[in-house]
Amino acid sequence: MAEKIIVALAGNPNVGKTSIFNAITGSKQHVGNWPGVTVEKKMGKRVHSDVEMEVVDLPGTYSLTAYSLDEIVARDFIIEEKPDIVVQVVDGTNLERNLYLTTQLMELGVKLVIALNMSDLVLSKGVHIDEAKMQEYLEVPVVSTIGSTGNGIHGLLDTIIERSSDKRVYGNTFDYEEDIEVRAEELEMILEKDPYFAHYPSRWFSLKLLEGDENILRKARGSESYPKIKNVLDNLDPDSFESRIADQRYGTIQFMLRQVCDINTSHLSGSDMVDRVVTNKYLGIPIFLSLMWAAFEVTFTFATPFMNMIDIFFAWLGEVTVSLISTDWLSSLIGEGIIAGVGSVLIFLPNILLLFFMLSIMEDSGYISRAAFIMDRVMSRIGLHGKSFIPLIMGFGCNVPAIMATRTIEDSRDRLITILVTPFISCGARLPVYVLLAGAFFGRDAGVVIFSLYALGILVALLSAKLMRGTVLRGEDAPFIMELPEYRIPTLRSGIIHMWERGKIYLKKAGGIILLGVVGVWLLASIPVPGSGGQFASGDIYGTTSSLLGAIGMLIEPLVAPLGFDWRIAVALLFGVVAKEIVVGSMGVLYGAGTNEENLAGILAAGAMSPLVGLGLMVFVLLYVPCFACIGVIKRETGSWKWTLFQLFYGTGLAWGLAFLVYQTGSRIGLLS
Amino acid sequence: MNYSYQKKEALFAALAGVLYVISGTLHIVEGLGADTGFAALLFVQADILGGFCLAVIGMVFLYGLLEMRRGIKAGMSFAYVGILLSIIFMAVYLLIMGGNLLDSFIVPGDYEGWNIMESLRPGIYLGLLSLMAAFSWKGRFSSNGISVREEV
Repeated sequence: MAEKIIVALAGNPNVGKTSIFNAITGSKQHVGNWPGVTVEKKMGKRVHSDVEMEVVDLPGTYSLTAYSLDEIVARDFIIEEKPDIVVQVVDGTNLERNLYLTTQLMELGVKLVIALNMSDLVLSKGVHIDEAKMQEYLEVPVVSTIGSTGNGIHGLLDTIIERSSDKRVYGNTFDYEEDIEVRAEELEMILEKDPYFAHYPSRWFSLKLLEGDENILRKARGSESYPKIKNVLDNLDPDSFESRIADQRYGTIQFMLRQVCDINTSHLSGSDMVDRVVTNKYLGIPIFLSLMWAAFEVTFTFATPFMNMIDIFFAWLGEVTVSLISTDWLSSLIGEGIIAGVGSVLIFLPNILLLFFMLSIMEDSGYISRAAFIMDRVMSRIGLHGKSFIPLIMGFGCNVPAIMATRTIEDSRDRLITILVTPFISCGARLPVYVLLAGAFFGRDAGVVIFSLYALGILVALLSAKLMRGTVLRGEDAPFIMELPEYRIPTLRSGIIHMWERGKIYLKKAGGIILLGVVGVWLLASIPVPGSGGQFASGDIYGTTSSLLGAIGMLIEPLVAPLGFDWRIAVALLFGVVAKEIVVGSMGVLYGAGTNEENLAGILAAGAMSPLVGLGLMVFVLLYVPCFACIGVIKRETGSWKWTLFQLFYGTGLAWGLAFLVYQTGSRIGLLS
Repeated sequence: MNYSYQKKEALFAALAGVLYVISGTLHIVEGLGADTGFAALLFVQADILGGFCLAVIGMVFLYGLLEMRRGIKAGMSFAYVGILLSIIFMAVYLLIMGGNLLDSFIVPGDYEGWNIMESLRPGIYLGLLSLMAAFSWKGRFSSNGISVREEV
């Protein structure tokens, strides 16, 4: 039987851990080029030279001091689970900052292997690293890798196996100034005598105590020897010790780098050149807006022929199926229910695929981090910093991972505000609603309308954050420290994987929750209201106010009537809380798209809805209650029903207010009526 | 200091910058409902946001020109990135053109009478200018970047 070892992949954010993880395990985890892609650990397996490796991809962390949630996840895994080997993935283009974590991993006494990643970019930056010397200084094996191409992975696996069977303890430790060493030794003696601390490396634990690490201090408070520990810590200033310890670690790293690195300082790399332009004070934001416009224009325009192909297919399928089924109710279920509902949603698959392909290009190239950087000036005016902008941009794809990505934000108030405003960012699930309505009412300007809705989402998110910062969540401005990763040429493979992963989710939703939703809508639209005298699924009941659905719709219609919405829209919005795509599916069922010669957009454009109502509906869908999955993740990440409900009521109130403004103003001035 | 490289880039940045700003402005003016009289001649459409993007590309070139004229060698970055942006937007317009063409086969009524001249946009033919520049300077487009030793 093969020997089994656990390998943890650790490292700073955005150094290519997930690329290495994918290259080792053959997984297809999403790889992005910005800090914070991995916020939860991921597992995979690989058998190499008869050794079974369980590989764990940990969230990126700059140090082993628990400043943010993802850092706690990484640190706790290394300390509590005690992996056989820790592979630290190091960005070769930014050694100084990366090696800071190395010093802490070495103090932790783990069996360490360094994967010197992005070795191709190192050379392109005019840097030469002497790996042999580096290995000698650190007493840790160093292997060059290029995660994106898989270069060096075999060598890395060989080294992992070799290192795991080596029982000797390697890794240099660092000597600090005398008073730090004296205190550390005192603490080590106390810790070693107390079985409560047997689980922790005493050298590392004592240094963390001296640094004033809150998480470690909390653990120490639970021990019997805490009074003795407190005695050692009482007369010192933890802030001063923390900065002195950090200074000495950096001093050692800088000394080593002078010996192992040859850097050409008069070189302006390709990344530097692009950054001079895209982060320019005056041009940065206009360039960002232009690129976003281009992405939405392609998403809408290039997808149109493919949407039409799917539309033609479903029209044909509807006709054939209905003509083959003689039972009225079954024909109605399949034609008016399933084909009209699910078909109306599947039409938008090309838009979803294109949007995610484009977002993937922006992420993989490293541009997303620049977007956060240039938006920092805007963000700082509302009391947040650029780091909060990354989850917002991620929200263009899906709000659920975007809310999880807020874990990289250290300040709890900043994080809470970002969670609460992220649902205002228009996700991929809302795109079908826009494409349907903008396509139906605004023709070739549909791309501009969709772009404006995305811009409105950002604007509402920023203004809401400003409002919250000034009222319910007041706090100090946090400093913005964010690394800008090297630009990389996005690979077609990565783009297709990302696109396909999201496409699969969309298809699964269409075949699962959306199918259930539209069947539910059909069922309620087919059941007659008691006393109406109609029959189940008969033509005079189906989709009218004499159906149960009609009755529910009429009940809630007064709430949305001031926005120009009728009962059918009210019902579609109600079902849309389950998943936003169901809004389109429900409309397909309620407007009879499956059995009509025209598709849903054609029916709406022919007079079933006015362009003004369409515009108001798009604004409402952008801002009202997020989907169930999103509500769940808001509750989980805030840990509070109070804030979750606040988001739901605040968002829906805002949606109602803005849609009201659109409809009433438009009606009064006779615009788009 | 050796400005032999910079002269070519500066000249190109000036030309491309002016052309992009003019065509971007024409798109915006047409988009606002005014008739510039150039719509048919230069294939300009009424498109405010598209015009804004072209004007931004033009500004990138002109900003680079300003820096290069001040003797900042790294100002060439703006010329190179301007070329990159104009090629990206040319690709976007070509995709849109291809999408419309494809659609004319699928739904013939939608784009009846589609022809290449009607789908042509300034973003495409100006992009060709950048593409030519990119080909002639391809050696300088490697990720190895440029040396800015003269400034140090």
